[in-house]
Amino acid sequence: MKKLLTSLLMVILVLSLFSCSSKDPDKVVIAQQFGLGYAPLTLVKELNLIEKYYPNAKIEWAQLGSGGSIREAMAAGQVDVGSMGVPPFLIAWAKGYDYKIMTALCEMPLGLQTNRPEVKSLKDISPQMKIATPSPGSIQHILLSMASEKELGDATALDRNVIAMAHPDAANALINKIEIAAHFTSPPYIFMELESEGIHQVVDAEKDAFGEAFTFLVTAGTGKFKTRNPELFEAVNTALREAIAIMENDPGSVSDIVAPTLNLDRETYLRYCNWPGVKFETEPRGMLKFLDFMNRAGYVSKTTSEQRDLMW
Amino acid sequence: MTDKVNGEKNKSRLTKISFLLALFLIWEFVPVWTNSAKIIPPFHKVMVAFWTNLWHGDLLQHVAYSLQLIFTGILIGMILAFVLTALCIVSKRFNDIMDVVISIMHPLPGIALLPVVMLIVGLGAKSIIIIIVHSILWPLIVNALAGFNSIPKIQIELGKNLGMKGVKLIWLVMIPNAFPYILSGIKISWARSWRALVSAEMVFGASGMVGGLGWYIYKTRFFMDVSGMFAGLISVIIIGMLVDEFVLKSIEKNTVKKWGMSV
Repeated sequence: MKKLLTSLLMVILVLSLFSCSSKDPDKVVIAQQFGLGYAPLTLVKELNLIEKYYPNAKIEWAQLGSGGSIREAMAAGQVDVGSMGVPPFLIAWAKGYDYKIMTALCEMPLGLQTNRPEVKSLKDISPQMKIATPSPGSIQHILLSMASEKELGDATALDRNVIAMAHPDAANALINKIEIAAHFTSPPYIFMELESEGIHQVVDAEKDAFGEAFTFLVTAGTGKFKTRNPELFEAVNTALREAIAIMENDPGSVSDIVAPTLNLDRETYLRYCNWPGVKFETEPRGMLKFLDFMNRAGYVSKTTSEQRDLMW
Repeated sequence: MTDKVNGEKNKSRLTKISFLLALFLIWEFVPVWTNSAKIIPPFHKVMVAFWTNLWHGDLLQHVAYSLQLIFTGILIGMILAFVLTALCIVSKRFNDIMDVVISIMHPLPGIALLPVVMLIVGLGAKSIIIIIVHSILWPLIVNALAGFNSIPKIQIELGKNLGMKGVKLIWLVMIPNAFPYILSGIKISWARSWRALVSAEMVFGASGMVGGLGWYIYKTRFFMDVSGMFAGLISVIIIGMLVDEFVLKSIEKNTVKKWGMSV
């Protein structure tokens, strides 16, 4: 018995080492991501915009593998501010996680491209054809479901064709015609695919899936962060909005900062920034339509009719 | 004597059961007390999710798909291991070559090979089966060879003196003698085949048309369905325990233990 108690005590001791860490109120952890849509985050970092509004801010930029892990890190309280696609944000929001949108980031042209000449619409996709999306529940996957509800009458009709593949791998596979028949993607991969030979678009997200313009990425902040230091929270929000305005009004002025993080030269970067459908803006659009669809299709089990429930 | 043995057996069973009960109780209440039920759902929620996903969701389909891949992989792996081990026993030269092959292949994690395999055979069931076969083939051969090499010479001589030759000698003397090693090779393969399957599906999302448990856990992760994630884990645990209890233990009971052997 004594031995048993000692060993239990040891276990408790070890477990307690993992918990508890108090946070400096001036510290904020922001998840960093790369991609044209995340360019405002890069600007906030490189132009020290948060420090402009909150000089004492201690900012930590966390590098995480994917949108999924950013969300998990936010749920675990390791990251205070992170950006993600609208559906991934809504999935966690509907699960009751304590975070809301600070600002939208951008609108982008998204779409489904195929390398099979015979595929003219979703009806032509056979059960053997694989469709790559970054992950289940990603904005690309949800837009595909929306398109299949419109064209095939069933939101989940193509779920068995869907596989998960990172954007660069899938773009590579599509262009070289190996493995996958189609890829639902976002910039810059959609631009590369559309400019490649033998690839055409089957679904234009705005026209064929969503039906109107919609926000692609949002930046969310946790409730813990907001209560811990509301001033710093506001400073981060203001900094983000300033960066978004720069990207929308004068992307050329920051090409030296942003283009290298995307591995693009200045001309390509500017061409992508001016592509029809690329828009940096702070006001989220289409949130409730996404939520309503996802609730109807069974991807989430909570909904609201007020956009302010989703925003700080 | 038997009373004492039985008493010890009961005590050991009691310890195991009370440990599990304590674990479930901790799991049930600690998440609620520490206000972290969203990250670790309490035990009953996980069980409810497991049960509803099993009968009303697609969990059973994923389990069936996983088992199908694993058994295919194990069957191919065992046949290959049998043939290669037999060749090693018959030919010393082949044994030397296998030595090199094993030292090259055995330390290579299957998951590290997956990108190469996918490049050659493509995404889907085939590449996962190849990874499973790779993960189990080498431990099976290494264990079987260790078993055959550990047979005391005197036993073989004895068999020969009794007039045994060829297949009869192998079947009645060599295989029973090497069996404890072969069995531990099989046990290792069973565990490794699951690791190969689940990790391949989680890292690359390399799924077939249905996808196995790895894909299921991957999917539930992206929908933040934490109870579903645990339901996937519990399925792996339960299948593992069932196979261990009803297949592996009964093989052990009817062979090694019956023959009074130990490794």
